Amino acid sequence: MKQKYIFGSVIIAVFLGLLVFLFTQSNIKYESNFGSIIASGKTVKAAGVWVKEKKYEADKISDTFSFYMKDETGAEMKVVCKGSAPNNFETATSVVVTGKFEDGYFHATNILTKCPSKYQDQLKTKV
Amino acid sequence: MKAYSLFNKDLASEIRTRYAVNSLAMFILVTISVILFSVGSEKVSENLTGGLFWAVIFFTSMSGLSRAFVSEEERGTALTLQLIASPTTVFSGKLLFNLILVFAMNIVVAALYSTLFDAFIIKNFALFIALFILGNIGIAVSSTIIAAIISKAGSKGTLYPVLSFPILLPLILILIDLTKMAMGGLEAYSAYVELAALVCYNVIMITASYMLFDFIWKD
Repeated sequence: MKQKYIFGSVIIAVFLGLLVFLFTQSNIKYESNFGSIIASGKTVKAAGVWVKEKKYEADKISDTFSFYMKDETGAEMKVVCKGSAPNNFETATSVVVTGKFEDGYFHATNILTKCPSKYQDQLKTKV
Repeated sequence: MKAYSLFNKDLASEIRTRYAVNSLAMFILVTISVILFSVGSEKVSENLTGGLFWAVIFFTSMSGLSRAFVSEEERGTALTLQLIASPTTVFSGKLLFNLILVFAMNIVVAALYSTLFDAFIIKNFALFIALFILGNIGIAVSSTIIAAIISKAGSKGTLYPVLSFPILLPLILILIDLTKMAMGGLEAYSAYVELAALVCYNVIMITASYMLFDFIWKD
């Protein structure tokens, strides 16, 4: 009888540990090569920079905004994001969008912007 | 006494009274038609229909599956069962019966749902079948052990959903996530984390139930 409880507790502990381990892992991976994003069509977090020469457009009717993104190798793709542009979008040094590539552009559901560091800027103005 | 003969007994008494089947069928009919009327002619997003699907299943299991042990207590047959069968056998028999019931109920829900809602389209059918089977096993195991716990309590009707909510919540959350993936047409290998989590949940629930049932039943 006692063996049963020991055995059961071990099974529960092992699988509980496995469950916690699984939850810490995210399915969505970072990808900074746009070529493979376009080829695979999987949901990824795409990291790159906004191409400032091509302006971003906000569409108020469908509540989306679109812009062009460039990766390290210089490959470009169009990104259409739900919602409005984040406040600090224009000053962002790099952009991470979550979504997948479909029908010729990247459908983003979430956008993260990385801003230039305040302190670096202050340093520059001082010098 | 074998688990199978206990299952046969439950099946025979269910065919005679049709209590669980009737309450399940009525509940499915009522919830789906309420959703259908409230949606009206509006276009519902795919993600919402996936979530509503599991909401219907959660509440339907709440209404019909609590009977497993309550019926024994009400008819005063629980003591006889304690005499003639070991706790493990009793639990296996009840679990088998609830499994059949959950599978029958969810197949009906899925069939009705996919015919009545245009937005409920499964693109990755293999993934949906996998999550459906694993989810049903999870629901059946959890609801059986909760039914055993509440059968001794006073206010059985209200205690059941309250107790099962925290236990079923992780299961329902994973299932909703997976349903979204299946509807989005994602390949099965990219959902392996969620599927593995589902298997883990089932294994934990089954071992915990078999361990704890001895204490619940002998009390």
